[in-house]
Amino acid sequence: MISAIIGIVTLIYLAAAFLFLAAGLRAAPAWDRLARIFLSTGWVLHTAAFLGRWWQSSLLAAQHSPPAGFQEVLRMVILQVPLANFYESLVFFSWCLPTLPLISFRRYTTGFLGGLLSLLASLLLAYASLGVDSHIRPLMPALKSNWLLLHVLTCFVGYGAFALAFGAALLFIWQLRCPLLPAATSLPYMDRLIYQATVIGFVFLTLGIVTGAVWAEAAWGRYWSWDPKETWSLITWLIYATLLHARLVKGWQGRRIAWLAVLGFLAVLFTYLGVSFLLPGLHSYLT
Amino acid sequence: MWRTLTSLRFTLLVLLTLALVAILGTLVPQGEPPAYYLERFGTTFGALLWRLGLANLYSGAWLLVPVSMLALNLLACLVKGLPQALRRAMTPLTWQAAEALPLRGRFIWPPEMKSSEVVAKVWRAELGRSQRLSLPGKEIFFCEKGRFRPLGPYLIHFGLLLVLWGALVGKLWGVEGKLVVHEGELAERFETLRPLTERVLPFQVRLERFQVNYYPQSGIPAEFRADLTFLRHGQEKKRAVCRVNEPVTFDGWTFYQSSYGAEPSGPLGFEICQGNLCHRLEAPVRHRVELPGGGAQFLIIKVEGNLQGLGPAVQMAFRDGPGHPRIFWVSLNHPQLADQPDSPFAQPAGYRFTLTSLPYRWYSVFQVKQDPGVWYVYSGFLLFLPGLFMAFFLRPQKWAVVLEKTPTGDKAGRLLGASPRAREAFEVRRERLLRRLQQGARE
Ligand code: HEM
Repeated sequence: MISAIIGIVTLIYLAAAFLFLAAGLRAAPAWDRLARIFLSTGWVLHTAAFLGRWWQSSLLAAQHSPPAGFQEVLRMVILQVPLANFYESLVFFSWCLPTLPLISFRRYTTGFLGGLLSLLASLLLAYASLGVDSHIRPLMPALKSNWLLLHVLTCFVGYGAFALAFGAALLFIWQLRCPLLPAATSLPYMDRLIYQATVIGFVFLTLGIVTGAVWAEAAWGRYWSWDPKETWSLITWLIYATLLHARLVKGWQGRRIAWLAVLGFLAVLFTYLGVSFLLPGLHSYLT
Repeated sequence: MWRTLTSLRFTLLVLLTLALVAILGTLVPQGEPPAYYLERFGTTFGALLWRLGLANLYSGAWLLVPVSMLALNLLACLVKGLPQALRRAMTPLTWQAAEALPLRGRFIWPPEMKSSEVVAKVWRAELGRSQRLSLPGKEIFFCEKGRFRPLGPYLIHFGLLLVLWGALVGKLWGVEGKLVVHEGELAERFETLRPLTERVLPFQVRLERFQVNYYPQSGIPAEFRADLTFLRHGQEKKRAVCRVNEPVTFDGWTFYQSSYGAEPSGPLGFEICQGNLCHRLEAPVRHRVELPGGGAQFLIIKVEGNLQGLGPAVQMAFRDGPGHPRIFWVSLNHPQLADQPDSPFAQPAGYRFTLTSLPYRWYSVFQVKQDPGVWYVYSGFLLFLPGLFMAFFLRPQKWAVVLEKTPTGDKAGRLLGASPRAREAFEVRRERLLRRLQQGARE
């Protein structure tokens, strides 16, 4: 049931991507509006699927060990948030991609940028459905912690914001290279968007790293152990700290900031995917 | 020197250097023995990696130098910028300064307008509270928002210094080691890794009971649980349950459940049947045992206290000829599992091993730790929160309206304001304010 919904959402996002693309190529706001309707519909279904899976795994956990009293129910529900394996994290990551643009950057995310984000969300979901084990499994003892929710949530919201900055940066660079494209995305807009999205991403990534450290200290007795995933999140953080200082203190703008945003997002992708597949460690989704 | 230390170019350099060092650390596997590097990277290159300290990057100069540079840089920036930021945050806007703000628009009202009330109303709706001052011939409204923003970056930077300091304190004065306790026994000695020595706790720990509990019918562990008692001079001081993710702290030392096992506490009893011919015998662990009649041997590899929720079991290797030995499990409580072909419990053809007695006891391995630096690290983390909020979400802006009488009796208003950091939001607000003030005349 839920995987069927995810399949439908994948297609809706894909359709939204094409509509946005068409809007970008023809500079037609009507297509933008249609694309946004698709994106919002997909997002509502996506949210429902996420909550549905949360419900399902809570039910499953309740069957294993029925909770007694409100507090135990609450704790169980918090623990069962569907962010515990690779499939669930992909579903949530792709949920974050359209969320930020739908909430707070509506004016910017039209045309090519909207298309880019919808396409990315659609591809991630397709990969989750086709290439990754989607079974709900009982929670490993090491993941039983209230920090799991906070840690994963903040990290992924941050990643979503960085994806937005990345999309804006790509368009910025592209626009500089081929200024004759019809969709004249305004360069100052993109520049500002890169910065604003990076700020949101940076704040959430900082919270993600901090909650991760507190969790690690509480669970394993070491707030920092130079696990490859931790280390890569630090690298990502340093790159974005560099970007923010370069822009705010040294006044860099435009192309150089855009390239830093691209570099930062490559580091995000490596933190998220590369580390799991290429380097061994605590956070690897594959073990 | 001071110029370099406080320059932002230096900061960017240090941040990117740190990123590069960290990348290097994830590419070269860390903390392996020298032989590993020789084998994996070849003799020349492997030896070079080892010599350069790239195999223990995070505990050597490679990390220490850039981190010290970062700390110096942060400290220098703090010393240089904090006084000014403090002064700015502590100085409220005065009416003189407010009146000197840049002009952002004008409006004219007829003499009969209740001008002060109109301004106060618009102001309340758009900007909230204001200060108000009546001077001979004119009236001034003014307010300031986000005054504390300049302190935000310094809170973050100071928090970062605290984190680094905490890490240093932990490195210098923290202790970390491994403690093994057997069920029913007392322990106080533990092993530290760096340097490799034995140390003694200032108290004793007894493992009362250890359990591995499984999710029903799944073979997936749900909980590792150790019931501990802490004693001092033989006197019981505290009882506690330690689980994965739920460490226990006693007297400044924290115990984390990190691994466990079962150990046989005597020889194991078997009944071994070949067809209808059965023998009973006792077998020690990890010793080869000949079956009566010769030709076949077995060896007990290990004992598990609770194998996949099925209770105690032993893993054995069996051989009755040339070739590889067969490896299989024998369960104490569920001997019928041996009848399932292709399961890990399937036994060699023609033989049937049954456990008659399996004396064992659990042991548990704890990571024990004392880190006096954690609280500095956490304080740093706490400073991040207001720091990030102030640095990124406060928008410093100053506004003023000056009302004056013109020689003709009209009332002339000037809208003044400044916001160097949020020009766009400022402009939007300026337009709205000015429109409402100008309309005020017609309302
Ligand atoms: C990883 C380390 C660092 C982090 C996470 C960090 C974070 C920040 C943040 C969030 C801001 C606020 C940006 C803004 O102005 O809106 C900031 C500003 C600033 N940082 Fe850093 N910083 C770091 C290292 C440094 C270092 C080493 C220096 C030393 C030169 C430095 C100098 C500054 C300066 C001068 C400002 C501007 C202050 C102002 O706007 O009044 N930062 N930093």
